[in-house]
Amino acid sequence: MELDLFVRYGPALLHGFGITILCWIAGSLGGMALGFLIACIYQWSGRWIRGLLQAYIEIVRGTPFMIQLFILYYGGPHFGLLLSPVEAGIAGFVVYGSPYFAEIFRAGFASTPKGQFEAARCMGFSEWTIVRRIVLPQMLVSITAPLTNFVIILTKETAILSVVTVPELLYETQTMAAETFTYVEPFLVLSLFYWAMVEFTSWLGRRVELRVTRHLRRA
Amino acid sequence: MPDTATSAESIITVRGLGKRYGDFQALTGVDLDVRKSEVTCLIGPSGSGKSTLLRCMNFLEAYEEGEVRLDGELIGWQEGSSGPRRPLPGRRLREQRRHIGMVFQQFNLWPHMSALENVAEALVQVQGMTKAEANGRAMAALEKVNLKDKAGNYPSALSGGQQQRVAIARAIAMEPRVILFDEPTSALDPELVGEVLNVMKAMATEGMTMVVVTHEMGFAAHVASRVAFLDHGRLVACVPPPEIFGADPADPRIRSFLQTYRERNVV
Repeated sequence: MELDLFVRYGPALLHGFGITILCWIAGSLGGMALGFLIACIYQWSGRWIRGLLQAYIEIVRGTPFMIQLFILYYGGPHFGLLLSPVEAGIAGFVVYGSPYFAEIFRAGFASTPKGQFEAARCMGFSEWTIVRRIVLPQMLVSITAPLTNFVIILTKETAILSVVTVPELLYETQTMAAETFTYVEPFLVLSLFYWAMVEFTSWLGRRVELRVTRHLRRA
Repeated sequence: MPDTATSAESIITVRGLGKRYGDFQALTGVDLDVRKSEVTCLIGPSGSGKSTLLRCMNFLEAYEEGEVRLDGELIGWQEGSSGPRRPLPGRRLREQRRHIGMVFQQFNLWPHMSALENVAEALVQVQGMTKAEANGRAMAALEKVNLKDKAGNYPSALSGGQQQRVAIARAIAMEPRVILFDEPTSALDPELVGEVLNVMKAMATEGMTMVVVTHEMGFAAHVASRVAFLDHGRLVACVPPPEIFGADPADPRIRSFLQTYRERNVV
């Protein structure tokens, strides 16, 4: 191991890690929010809007993330959409993740018994209050695991951002490897970074799950 | 015969109510008056439209024909104006529903909230009380159904009868003008039916206006002020209980319906 390499490239790697974390967290949260919005609109609209949303889901889910990034970053300027690499990376993540998140939330709505809505409706709750106070806490019991799963998948998808020159972790690692002709150490460290992100995510998922299943354990 | 009482003393008046699901006509021309401080029981065979009638009263089912009024106010639809009726905006409908409590066959308690939280939730979210006020009122409601000591329990740690009593407390706490019960004891083990009916009896004694869809003929016979009998979506009769449970009810449909209960020595 040539540890002095990491003294030289450490700052760049850490910076890359920071960019990765930024894109990952902003993209995951944004994608989750957009997916939740799509699921809510789906839940409360008629056939036509549902059809449109379904088409969006099918199209985004049916194309590779890398292609979506190319279209956003290289194609965007043709439509007046000028994004920096990091902006394109985050926007790409939001779009790419949204249909998967939407489907998870949609399943959550579908699995909530009708009577749960009715009991609240007939007392005068607004629909948004019903979602926030009654439905969301219940669906989290069953959707926390799939949500965690998908956020874990997204940690590793960040590597694809390097193709649109986002200076994220893989990008910096490749630079280091190319300049020093060392490959084992940089990529070993790279794996450690991703592994840490995944571990953190599953830890967080377990915490959330414990929190939302309190009523199932305590008398 | 349709009820002909003056609507002055009625809280809910139903006139010419019709509801269909596709090709199935669930309700046809129903007229009914629910009077203040009385218990009105809705009985009849399965599929006769009892529950549908009840659910039209708070617009959980959107009825197409006729009208339901609560203290004179049309429920669910905009008043007047020619042409096809338009549904009330959500805000107005929610305002109406605050005054109509409902208790369901399956309790429909919110599983992630304790008994106390179940009762207090609407007080905070709908009536805008502070948490302390709401908890005080909720505790008083739980005391009425004899469940003060279970306030901290989640529904999963309560028996069916206890869950239904929490659901009743949840309705009471809103101080509604009327409470609708949709087969409140049908999902309960037989030995738990009594505790729920006792709570309902006590409410009736205190003058709560109640509309109860039920298969408990004993409750209908002894607690109801009036019993409405439905068959195939029509109101056959709405009369004091003796006229239905007496020796010889007038209508053959009532007679054959009660026959099945008599054979089991229920009434």
